[in-house]
Amino acid sequence: MTKPLNRRRFLQTSAATGLAAGIAPSIAHAQDPLGIALVVPSPVGEVGWSHALAMGLEPIKAEYGDSVNITILENIPEGPDADRIMNKVVADGAKFLLAGSFGYQNGAMQIARRNPDVTVLHASGFMVAPNFSPFAAKYFQGTYLMGMAAAALSKTGKLGSVSAFAIPELITSINAFTLGAQSVNPDIEVSVVWVNSWFDPAQEQDAAKALLAQDCDVIFSNAQDTPSVVSVCEEAGAYVFNLNSSMKKNAPTKYLGCVETDWSPFFMESVKGHLDGTFEGRNAFLGVEDNVVKVVDWNPDIPAETKAKIDEVEAAIADGSFHPFTGRIVKQDETVGVEDGETLPDEAIVSMDWHVAGVTTPLPN
Amino acid sequence: MSALSFIIAGMLAAAMPFLLAALGELVAERSGVLNLGIEGMMALGAVVAFIVVRQSGGHAMGFVAAGLASAALATVFAWLALAVRANQVAAGLAIGILGQGLSALFGKRYESLTVPGLPKLSIPGLSELPLLGGLFSQDAVVWLGLLATLAIWATLRFSKLGLVIRAVGENPHAARALGYNVIAIRYGAVAFGGLMAGFAGAYAATVYTPLWAEGMIAGRGWIALALVVFATWMTGRVVFGAVLFGAVSLSQLAAQAGGVALNSQLLASLPYIVTILVLGAISANKRLLKINGVASLGEPFGR
Repeated sequence: MTKPLNRRRFLQTSAATGLAAGIAPSIAHAQDPLGIALVVPSPVGEVGWSHALAMGLEPIKAEYGDSVNITILENIPEGPDADRIMNKVVADGAKFLLAGSFGYQNGAMQIARRNPDVTVLHASGFMVAPNFSPFAAKYFQGTYLMGMAAAALSKTGKLGSVSAFAIPELITSINAFTLGAQSVNPDIEVSVVWVNSWFDPAQEQDAAKALLAQDCDVIFSNAQDTPSVVSVCEEAGAYVFNLNSSMKKNAPTKYLGCVETDWSPFFMESVKGHLDGTFEGRNAFLGVEDNVVKVVDWNPDIPAETKAKIDEVEAAIADGSFHPFTGRIVKQDETVGVEDGETLPDEAIVSMDWHVAGVTTPLPN
Repeated sequence: MSALSFIIAGMLAAAMPFLLAALGELVAERSGVLNLGIEGMMALGAVVAFIVVRQSGGHAMGFVAAGLASAALATVFAWLALAVRANQVAAGLAIGILGQGLSALFGKRYESLTVPGLPKLSIPGLSELPLLGGLFSQDAVVWLGLLATLAIWATLRFSKLGLVIRAVGENPHAARALGYNVIAIRYGAVAFGGLMAGFAGAYAATVYTPLWAEGMIAGRGWIALALVVFATWMTGRVVFGAVLFGAVSLSQLAAQAGGVALNSQLLASLPYIVTILVLGAISANKRLLKINGVASLGEPFGR
């Protein structure tokens, strides 16, 4: 297949040939670096969602060096302000836009429609266009494994989760966590506290304390961007794990592990696609099999035999022979959620609005 | 630990950020100045205290630095409101936004880092009581905060200084005719409000949730402001409102953790609803409101 010769490609090849002739510097200057802009809803900091997105760009920086120009705009609230800021970075020449929050969807889609030469990646959305890919992580694959470890370590048989908002992404994480725990101890119970805020460290910490007061001895910090829950659990001597990026240093002894998201394989592939002109918008639901979801920093307290089983299940998830949402799965209200032998399709997972049996807290409607 | 003892043990600490900030605002408003910048002053205090504690300056140093920083910010507001005679609502909002911006700027390198909290100091005997025991095991700041509350209440009610502050807020012209320097007293009251807001922020970022994250004050300054109004400018009611708010916040979390079948959004709004209803009910007495309301609140005082 011959690739169309566009300006960039022409410059790339001529730069390569020009190198020998010693005229590279002037031509390299003529080629504008690819402007990549990442817009995120919270400060990037040391840990958390925005941090993970920003880290996903590091390998691109390393690979492309001066031929990319990366801008990170942090702490941009969803809404009209975000639309204005995204439009501004595109007007300033960014050709590759990473919209790092669900609420940026409409504004980012408008930009993609108006600027066919701009590639947009959008976090956690559902809209797709030829130059617009939504992306999300299959956290549930990792939380299933965490559930196995949690059940093996729990003495009270009660697990807890401090969760931000009752949206499908968080609900699936809790459900898979519960199913994983039940695969080790069928009688395990999971309590959930919804903080109803993406960001309120004090409230999150109180929620964790409330769960600990109810004898939960392993806590799942579901979508908190700060070590609020993790550090209070270390203090109280309860195992704890979180998503996105490791907070092991906040809980040196009680850190169960981290369901890490490494966005770089997906970002790298998309940037490459953009430069080659082969980018195609798709709904990117990325997991262990894409090297996007990884579990890291496993606690050494996990019994060796459980750990071996976890590794087995992880390998089975990666090669597709096992799926956490394979029936028979009973819902919290005792109706059947997934029939025996069936596997929940991705569309049903991304819109999940029910808890599995074993989650004791009713779901807010 | 039962859910009830969890709430009883935690409610004073949960109330402390609101209580400290609200008491400071109470004094400022009693002198006739409405400072809407509490949220920003708390954020500035929080980040300053966090940085000092993080650089191992210790909690005491952290609180002092936070109090001074926020008092300085409050003084800027006081200058706008009292010397320039700017609109107090607008100036307060501007100072609040400035404080939040400064906190983000200073806190940039400290985002998501943590510091050690403070140990609990227990009253021997009482802290071993069943159910209520947790109430008597609090960190040093809670104990000091309760003493400060008592001191502020006594000062406003019984001392000459308190009388002068109230007189300045009630009728600045009369106070001036009596020979009091209205502007100086208001400067002092506003700076004191800043000091307390700084302490409140310091408590939030270095003791209650010992970590720094931009925006971690999360509206607590506004709740403190509302508490002062709903408490009809009475110290006792501010304390009651703050503790009530803290207790209901904790009980909604405990209810969820215990699997209570109630809508969690409804539960989450419960602290606001209950506090408004209760304080609204006790402030329904029009006569009392008239007695306690600050007559010159928000009005610029001309020479």
